[in-house]
Amino acid sequence: MSTSSAAPRGPFRLRASLADRIGEPSLRTLTAVSALGVVLLILWIAETVVNQSSTAVSQLGIGFLGHQVWDPNHNIFGALDFILGTLVSSFIALLIATPTAIAISIYLTELAPRAIRRPVAILVELLAAIPSVILGLWGLLVLGPFLTNHLEPFLKSFLAWTGIFNGTPSPVGMLNAALILTIMALPIVTAITREVFETTPRDLKEAAYAMGATRTEMIRMVVLPLARPGLVGAVILGVGRAIGEAIAVTQVIGNASQFQASLFAPSGTLAAQIASEFQGANPGLWQSSLMYLALILLVISLVVNILGRLMVRRTAVH
Amino acid sequence: MALENPSPLGLLAPVPGSARRRAVNRAVEIACTLAAVLAVAVLLLVVISVFIKGAPAISWKFLTSNPQTSTLNFGVNSGGIANSIVGSAILIGLASAMAVPVGILVAIYTSEFAGPRSSSGIRFALDVLNGVPTIVTGVFVYGVLVVGAHQSGWAGAIALAIVELPIVARSSQEVLVLVPRTLHEAGLALGLKRWRVVVSIVLPTALGGLITGAVLGVARVAGETAPLIFTSSIFSNLGLTTNPAQAMPNIPVTLFSLSESASPQDHAQAWASALVLIAFVLILSILARAFHARSMAKLSH
Amino acid sequence: MPITTKECILRLRRTTAGLVAVLAASGIAACGSSSSGSSTSSASSSSAASSGSGAALVGAGSTLVEPLVQVWQPLYDKAYGTAVTYGGIGSGGGIEQITSRTVDFGASDAPLTSSQAAACKGCLEIPWALAATDIAYNVKGVPSGLHFTGPVLADIWMGKIKSWNDPAIQKLNPGVKLPATAIVPVHRTDGSGDTFAFTNYLSKVSPTFAKQIGNATTVNWPGGIGGKGNSGVGGALTSTNGAIAYIAIAYVGANKLDYGLVQNAAGKYPTPGIPSISAAAAALKSVPQGGTQGISLTDPPASAPNAYPISTFTYILIPTSTSKAAPLQKFVNWAITTGQASGPSLDFAPLPSAIVAADKATLKLIK
Repeated sequence: MSTSSAAPRGPFRLRASLADRIGEPSLRTLTAVSALGVVLLILWIAETVVNQSSTAVSQLGIGFLGHQVWDPNHNIFGALDFILGTLVSSFIALLIATPTAIAISIYLTELAPRAIRRPVAILVELLAAIPSVILGLWGLLVLGPFLTNHLEPFLKSFLAWTGIFNGTPSPVGMLNAALILTIMALPIVTAITREVFETTPRDLKEAAYAMGATRTEMIRMVVLPLARPGLVGAVILGVGRAIGEAIAVTQVIGNASQFQASLFAPSGTLAAQIASEFQGANPGLWQSSLMYLALILLVISLVVNILGRLMVRRTAVH
Repeated sequence: MALENPSPLGLLAPVPGSARRRAVNRAVEIACTLAAVLAVAVLLLVVISVFIKGAPAISWKFLTSNPQTSTLNFGVNSGGIANSIVGSAILIGLASAMAVPVGILVAIYTSEFAGPRSSSGIRFALDVLNGVPTIVTGVFVYGVLVVGAHQSGWAGAIALAIVELPIVARSSQEVLVLVPRTLHEAGLALGLKRWRVVVSIVLPTALGGLITGAVLGVARVAGETAPLIFTSSIFSNLGLTTNPAQAMPNIPVTLFSLSESASPQDHAQAWASALVLIAFVLILSILARAFHARSMAKLSH
Repeated sequence: MPITTKECILRLRRTTAGLVAVLAASGIAACGSSSSGSSTSSASSSSAASSGSGAALVGAGSTLVEPLVQVWQPLYDKAYGTAVTYGGIGSGGGIEQITSRTVDFGASDAPLTSSQAAACKGCLEIPWALAATDIAYNVKGVPSGLHFTGPVLADIWMGKIKSWNDPAIQKLNPGVKLPATAIVPVHRTDGSGDTFAFTNYLSKVSPTFAKQIGNATTVNWPGGIGGKGNSGVGGALTSTNGAIAYIAIAYVGANKLDYGLVQNAAGKYPTPGIPSISAAAAALKSVPQGGTQGISLTDPPASAPNAYPISTFTYILIPTSTSKAAPLQKFVNWAITTGQASGPSLDFAPLPSAIVAADKATLKLIK
């Protein structure tokens, strides 16, 4: 489709020639430049982040990743606690969102009455459009008090021994952030999961039923195995969304620079730390270390997003 | 999912626990239905609480007057968010004026001019750009445009445009691929050059879908806060700012600072701002969907 | 969908024109040259701020001084037609933004450290308001006015005193029934002059604190919740039972927070407010000249029995060489004289006359 057509000679040629001689190369060039621009923009972003983090990278090296303390006053910088905060908050979010998304998708593709399938699917996708700052507001003013007064004391009453549901119930903290990220990731994961489930070939389903399988057995033996790569991709894309979220997390996580085992405790993430400290960081090692955090965040998100896309595409192909 | 029969072969024989299997099936179905209902309910709860808490503070005055001196953080709050609404509109307008044409051009390149390899390369690049965390985009624009200069509407709009570009380009690509090849060929058979085919046949046919992509892009960036907190957050609250050379007030940043305040009046304003924002975003998303359905019907027809 | 040649050409004309228009629009957008500075507003507004008049000033920094600047903005605009834009992003932010010259002036409650001063390349620090950092708390059933000492506060923020009924707090408040609620210390996440003043005070009264945590606009707190800006700290405080925070005095009044009384060197518990802040400023022995030195007001000597121990000057930071020299001089001159009258309603004490005189001399250095 890319080869330009062998233009038919004849009466059309003369009439269009001047406009064509300008139009054809200009549109081609214009579009090619725009496309190239996208690639250059990515390189420019990467270059800027790498460049501005170079002071910290050269002074702190790779040890930055494994170092815990973040103490600008004594020029001590380590990323470990923010990396942990990022990973744990996203992990919990997807731990809750994934089974829920699968359940919603099963409901929407197999169980729900035809008439409500599309409306509910659209509704869920619309919810992906809620701006994160509004989710943060809700997390801060509605979810926070509920956590402190009800959910956290309840969890603590019988799960305190685990160590992760222990400590003082607090309106802001890791649990609140993880739940907000769950709400954020759920529509995205659901949308992809549902699409993947819909691609299950009908004859395979019918074959399973013909063998006497119940619906649950059919789902377990046909839908889920076929959907596995797409499911993994959906989860990874959900992780991508959760890892990069700065605003909603900074509103509800409590912004501590230590990671703690208790989910009630305030914590921090890479993105939230950049959002809350960047504007006030002195140029030099401090600002450069924040850029180093941005670099880590950029690398993690790119890896996660690329992986996710590849997985989703693999299912789509099949 | 505690099933006893791991292999499909086992199903062939009349299984003794068939009543049990049916019960398990029923339980799983009920669990899925409940999970779906519950999850959708929680998601709706967020939207509904924004409506309930935001509605009382919404008034004509709230929408059309600027903040009074002490709206942010201080004192009794009698002003509105007109300046943020205007600023957001300008920021989104500028961002879209940059991102939408460029996004469509990129899409045209991949669907009309590029070979399959560079086409999938560009598609990959757009996915990569889409995966850049928006806070990193904000830091990038700060480093390139704000340091040594001022925060400005331009910087904010460019940051938003970077977020918007891959969304517009990807959805435009998906639409352009759907334009029937027969239309192309008809045009080429008439002796038209490719650019004419694109401009006069492909784009008009795909127009509905392209608009959908643009509207989705707008809906997405309307609520973006992270690209703006380092590029357009130090703004005047005295009056309207219509000059993008200065930092422009905008709803997401205003909402962000109001949400963190201790004062109940500020919280009331935060909810009302959230209602304005969420209504705008949801209406746009619904419009985009309607457009999408229509243009898909047209294209497949 | 069959298309005739004629239709084709008609469409071609229409769409080409459309495309050109769009491209032109984006071209203009990308160049950004034709930005009009008009700001006509049909909306009702308290003051018709005309942006882009060339005299507009942009500043950012301290959230302690933000309420006062917010009161100043419309007054100054009305008097001189100059719109002052101010972003409360924290003192650390003020220092950083003036250093990278993204603003016309910075504002900080913390004086510049020597390395910051070097990086800022000729920045003057001019004290332009006088206030205090309060200790506020939110504990169900506990009234306002609890007594604290510096070492007790240091132990609370270092995580050594963990609950409200700790004997160390109980001993200072014999008549009060304190609950066993856990103490949640709230701190600032952004670089903050309040953090500076508070850690400055704690470092003076607790050697352990000085060694472990130290004195700066951002320090490594061993625990607790972080809030962005004084506003964010207030938000975290009011939403958390058992929380205690250091927070600029104006926010205490505006949000009707419960606040504590901190023992001064004379062993007294002065109420934070204009008289006790002024008393701390009056205890200053000398006023530095030239705008290159900060003035610490924390932990005033025992000879000032009514002085509040965590008082602080807050500074405006201006580069000696700036394109906005004249409007900046005019604005600061107004702020340190006429502007001071707006202070008391927000618990800002008037600047001592010696400071005003030194400021006026410093302002002349701006070119």
